[in-house]
Amino acid sequence: MSGETATGGGSTETLDRARALFWRYRVPLGLVLVVLLLRPVISHPLLLGYEAVAATILIWMVFVAAFNLLFGYAGLLSFGHAMFLGFGMYAAAIGVSGRAGAPELPFPVAAAIGIGVAATVGYLLGRLTVEKGEIYFAFLTLAVAQAVEFTANRNPLNLTGGSNGVTQNVLPSWIESTRGQLVVVFGGLEVDWYWFVSVVFLVAMLALWQIVRSPFGRSLIAIRENGDLARAMGIDTTRYKVQAFTISAAFSALAGSVLMVDRYGASQETLSVITSGDTVLMAVLGGVRYFFGPIAGVFVWQFAEEFLNEFEVLHLGFASVDLSGVLTHWHFFLGALFVVIVVVAPLEGIWGYLRDWMRGLYGRLKGVAE
Amino acid sequence: MSTTELTREDLATVSPAWWAAAVLTIVLLAVTFAVEPGLFIDQAIGGLVYGMVLVLVTLGLSLILGLMGIVNFAHGAFFMLGAYLSYSVVVTLGLPFWAALILAPLIVGVVGVVLEITVLRYLYGSDPIVSLLATFGLTMMIEEVIRAYWGTAPLEISRPAVLTRGTDLGVTTVPTYRLFLVGVAVVTIVAVYLLISRTDFGLTVRAGVQDGEMTEFVGVNLPVRFTAMFFLGAALAGFAGVLYSAETGMRTTMGETFVILAFVVVVVGGIGSLFGSVVSGILIGVSAYLTPVVLTALAEVTNQPWLALQIRDLVPYLVMILILLYRPRGLFGEEGFLE
Repeated sequence: MSGETATGGGSTETLDRARALFWRYRVPLGLVLVVLLLRPVISHPLLLGYEAVAATILIWMVFVAAFNLLFGYAGLLSFGHAMFLGFGMYAAAIGVSGRAGAPELPFPVAAAIGIGVAATVGYLLGRLTVEKGEIYFAFLTLAVAQAVEFTANRNPLNLTGGSNGVTQNVLPSWIESTRGQLVVVFGGLEVDWYWFVSVVFLVAMLALWQIVRSPFGRSLIAIRENGDLARAMGIDTTRYKVQAFTISAAFSALAGSVLMVDRYGASQETLSVITSGDTVLMAVLGGVRYFFGPIAGVFVWQFAEEFLNEFEVLHLGFASVDLSGVLTHWHFFLGALFVVIVVVAPLEGIWGYLRDWMRGLYGRLKGVAE
Repeated sequence: MSTTELTREDLATVSPAWWAAAVLTIVLLAVTFAVEPGLFIDQAIGGLVYGMVLVLVTLGLSLILGLMGIVNFAHGAFFMLGAYLSYSVVVTLGLPFWAALILAPLIVGVVGVVLEITVLRYLYGSDPIVSLLATFGLTMMIEEVIRAYWGTAPLEISRPAVLTRGTDLGVTTVPTYRLFLVGVAVVTIVAVYLLISRTDFGLTVRAGVQDGEMTEFVGVNLPVRFTAMFFLGAALAGFAGVLYSAETGMRTTMGETFVILAFVVVVVGGIGSLFGSVVSGILIGVSAYLTPVVLTALAEVTNQPWLALQIRDLVPYLVMILILLYRPRGLFGEEGFLE
């Protein structure tokens, strides 16, 4: 919109060019808009009233978008994606804290190790499973993730801390925590944690967007739509799927390493089936066919989680006391909403619905203007 | 469903590597038995109990998957619902355990039927991924209901007096309840198998899966039969839940744990084969319990204490990965099913 108004008043040719440019770069513009608007919007008194979760939401958006590269674009439903988030989280936490005789590493190195481990596991698991059919793939990722969780719970070599997770000395030296607020310190420069996360978010999401719109991403869509036809056209479907899995795992681990700092450590809950399930729910809720689907899904989910939990505490506001008791069980209603979405239109989600609605509105407005 | 001809053929063409693995396993088991006979029998029966529960859970899942093409993630929730219902029947209503063994599965079956009529009926014939997602949403709802009604603290029920005693087996004494559980499970499994393979009901359902239109032409009311199958599958899960929770108590995580294990059993046994599910369920249950014992015995014999790894929870997944590497279709899987 802003692109159009800035050049408005010129000849129609420049207007058209501006519009084409805007349309071409609508995804990066939208991402910047998400970063700029997310914090003011959720910290509005009528909504959450506090901003601490804004950074967490951005990290989750990266993670679910990485998951959706696999599900929405390559058509492979991974029910164990929490393990890749966990690899990033645990590698960063173990590396930075240097626990149990592990070498103390700078955060970027530890995060890179986590990403490397995740990519390797993704690659090997992909080699083993991608050609087994969708349902097999979902089961197998689920089972392997469960095995990873059990292993972390066993606390091998005293590295993972069992059910307590890794929570001691996990903050890198260039991050300071004052009154629960994280601040990034670069030399004399102090940057709010949210802006640091925003940079990671923008870089990761733009990279994912480039992947999605590249020939590689288009081939993934071709494989999803018709694997046999794609193979007949000369696409090595197995290789593409394995690569998609590897990339998705790497980006998930990146989100995990940043989430480690955001959550002050690695927790075993992150590795659980529940996290993997939530990931699937968020992606489907948002709409797996669209790049912005996961972003919408994460926002709605995380917001509902925070908002409805707060609601219970603040039930003396305008709502009645009874409502808080019901809202504690928001999982039930979210589950119901999810079932409805899946039965009615499993691939559209909230974003698809919103898109249709905006299209309709735009069409009607155009009709009125003419 | 399971084709026994295929099984015999497969057994005839077993490779030398499999024979070597089998011989190695027998040697290891013999060594363990020699070192720790009491513990060995104890754990073997524990594993058999666990395996039987796995088979019962998997049987329902496998029926619904193999016959109706629905990947039912809510199966673990059915299992958990059965367990919690038995608590209500025994503790809240004060009825004997035997009543819970009948009432809880019936109620779970009815819940299954309600879900089938309201949601799953619209998903027959669609992508299995869609049914997986939909039942995942249903799982969330059932689990939230359980948390809201029964709370999140672990619960327990007491077993009937007849079953609390122990049975002497020579080298060790085994709780009678475990033997009872294995017996009941075997009877149930055989009954279900006969129902599917020998009765008219099973025949028409299988015919309906092969060619629904033609089956309805000859006068079979297929939707009712599919609903009945769903009732059976859900009730089996509830039944397993009652049996298992009387042994270990109820927890809010048991649903997800067992649905994943059931999927593992299906993958190892081969999708679409009831016989495969039975074999792999017992195999996984027993190997999960025996592997730590074997490793402990090995550590003792070879004097290498690091060998005594406690990896019971991990064994099912290791078995699965092994099977996938060497026999991707599962032990008795049919080719091209859901691939």
